[in-house]
Amino acid sequence: MKSWKSRSLVASAASAMLLLGACSGGDGASGSGSNGDQVELTFWNIWTEASPQNEASKAAVERFMEENPDIKIVQENIAHDQFKVKVKTQAAGRQLPDLVQVWPGAELTPLVDGELIQPIDDILDTWDGVISDTMFADYNVDGAQYAVPANVTPTSLVYYNKDMLAEAGYEEIPATYDEFKQLIEDLKAQGDIPITLGNKGQWLLQSSYISTIGDRMTGSDFLQDVLAGEAEFTDERFITAVEVIQEMAEMEAFNNDFNTLDNIQHRELFVAKEAAMMIDGAWSLGPIVEAIEDEGNLGIGVFPEIEGGDGDPEAVSAVTGTGIAINSELEGKELEAAQKFLQEFYSEDYYTELMEGDILVAADIETPDSASDALKRVSEIISKKTAPVYDATVPVDLTDAINSGLQEVSIGTLTPEEFAENLQRIVDNSL
Amino acid sequence: MDTVSKTKWPIIVGMAPALLIYLVFAIVPILISFYYSTMSWNGFSDMEFIGLANFREALGDPIFWQSLKNNLYVVAASVFGQVPIALFFALLLNRKLKGGKIFRTIGFMPVVISTVIISLVWGMMYNSRNGLFNQLLGAVGLESWAQNWLGDPKWAMISVCITIIWQFIGLYLIIFLAGLQNIPDELYEAAEIDGASGFKKTLNITLPMMKETIIVAVILCISGSLRTFDLIYVMTSGGPGHSTEVLAMYMFDQTFSSTRFGYGSTLSIFIFIFSLGLVYLATLILRRKSAAD
Repeated sequence: MKSWKSRSLVASAASAMLLLGACSGGDGASGSGSNGDQVELTFWNIWTEASPQNEASKAAVERFMEENPDIKIVQENIAHDQFKVKVKTQAAGRQLPDLVQVWPGAELTPLVDGELIQPIDDILDTWDGVISDTMFADYNVDGAQYAVPANVTPTSLVYYNKDMLAEAGYEEIPATYDEFKQLIEDLKAQGDIPITLGNKGQWLLQSSYISTIGDRMTGSDFLQDVLAGEAEFTDERFITAVEVIQEMAEMEAFNNDFNTLDNIQHRELFVAKEAAMMIDGAWSLGPIVEAIEDEGNLGIGVFPEIEGGDGDPEAVSAVTGTGIAINSELEGKELEAAQKFLQEFYSEDYYTELMEGDILVAADIETPDSASDALKRVSEIISKKTAPVYDATVPVDLTDAINSGLQEVSIGTLTPEEFAENLQRIVDNSL
Repeated sequence: MDTVSKTKWPIIVGMAPALLIYLVFAIVPILISFYYSTMSWNGFSDMEFIGLANFREALGDPIFWQSLKNNLYVVAASVFGQVPIALFFALLLNRKLKGGKIFRTIGFMPVVISTVIISLVWGMMYNSRNGLFNQLLGAVGLESWAQNWLGDPKWAMISVCITIIWQFIGLYLIIFLAGLQNIPDELYEAAEIDGASGFKKTLNITLPMMKETIIVAVILCISGSLRTFDLIYVMTSGGPGHSTEVLAMYMFDQTFSSTRFGYGSTLSIFIFIFSLGLVYLATLILRRKSAAD
């Protein structure tokens, strides 16, 4: 009995030690460095799935290491959702890797404010004439550039079923909002769901709807002005934009379970031809092209012009992605290596490979012939004008308020005016 | 007494590892939460001491009160739904019933199934266009009763509560069955000799003997309901428009989505206080009742 007791004591003491050890360990994240002549850089990204984009990105890293044997990139691939939580926790402990994948706007700004990453302005001339300032803008904070964009994602395309629209007497998405409403009525009359919507996650009405509808009314500088205190959400134009969403919900333009479906489920209604239209981002392009029988029947347009709006009626909200930022602690040889990596990683070869994988790129490079028709159509749309996406522009707490507020507007428990006032209050508090 | 004082040190040493782990992982985080709750902090930049501003904000935050109200709905649904129904089925299954074991297994099944699966399946059944409930209502000619169960703020919380009740009946069923097994047969035999019938026996022997078990079940119910998160998170994500928001979820969203670690900590402190208060209240009421008997 006694020996059993003492043994279990030793065992529990040992396990306690292990636990404590686990807590104090794990500070190797930023502890890399040069080993002899070879420079080693740690790099976190989200390239876990075997998607065309991830494959191309990983291949570009391999290519870089082959060409630069004196630099070693140690990658850690972490799944998207865990990645964001991990970066937030590690950032709080100031233990980010040498290179880290970053997202524009709300995700990037805190890293800059916390002085965790450094600008890359010195090497920007590498992409002169390849990447435009508009594309660079998302990774620009207070005039300094922190990352180079690889791809660009329009968040607000109007996908439509050509046959179903033809049945209602339309060839494409009408040019004005009033005609668009008539189209909705006509589709309802013939028994179709006009627009499929899955807003359970609450971000779709923000990312795919208000980002573009808001831009139609307010123009593209509105959000920056609001954040700078030069404009207010209670602006009549913004309220009108919210009223458009309210109106569509009230006229039953959506499937009536739109607040209980998610953004994958709503896609199925479109693919199954129960709904004639779907307003969604370019992330749905690949899955839809793969799922529908007849690609020729798939039309892609943009949200119509709204009367009295100040925005460009052709603009579509879009956000750039796959930027890589450099840890602010890097200097000397390591910094040079990191900069060299960025310069060679974002090469024309890389952009071409991305386009071959049906991904829209942020660089101004000729579309390869092998790209699908749908992709060509989308690149044509975004080549005209892009507008900022709300959640990539405003701080996260404001994004959350917009997400849940728009859902409340859609079910009628909040008026557009109250919604705008709530948002303005959050902005006022943070100014 | 002598042995205890002699073995005091070994006892302390023996308890130390467990105590240490408990302190580090349960007590210290609560204290740290108190510290964070007085800060304005987004997790990245420096913390800023703002005193009780977070607490003041929470008290004036309509969504906070809405989530508390919804939490209390869940508590009420659990205490007045799960416990009585579970007790009823436990009494039923405690008799020599044909296939009793099968029913027991069936009753316990929902507790074993992953909450995510439950949420998804019930979500489909509640669906307003082609869900089971509305189709059934349609099939028997009650189309007018069909609702947008999860999409309508009037019905969403009720629908969620029904699922929560269904999910945990099995757990309390097993607890009650175990409790029933502990009631000595002699009591029933004595009652039979005195001429007590089935219902009288239940009322005068079973229920008083079960009091302690019921108290434990109610306390488990309350603390469990205040922490409820996963089912609602998957089923409605708090929507539509905060109509199914609960405290734990609001806390999670504020902390990890809006990255307001300070305000999130404040909300968790409130959850802590409410749980403590409610459990204390429940024990007080139930104990007094049992003392009066």
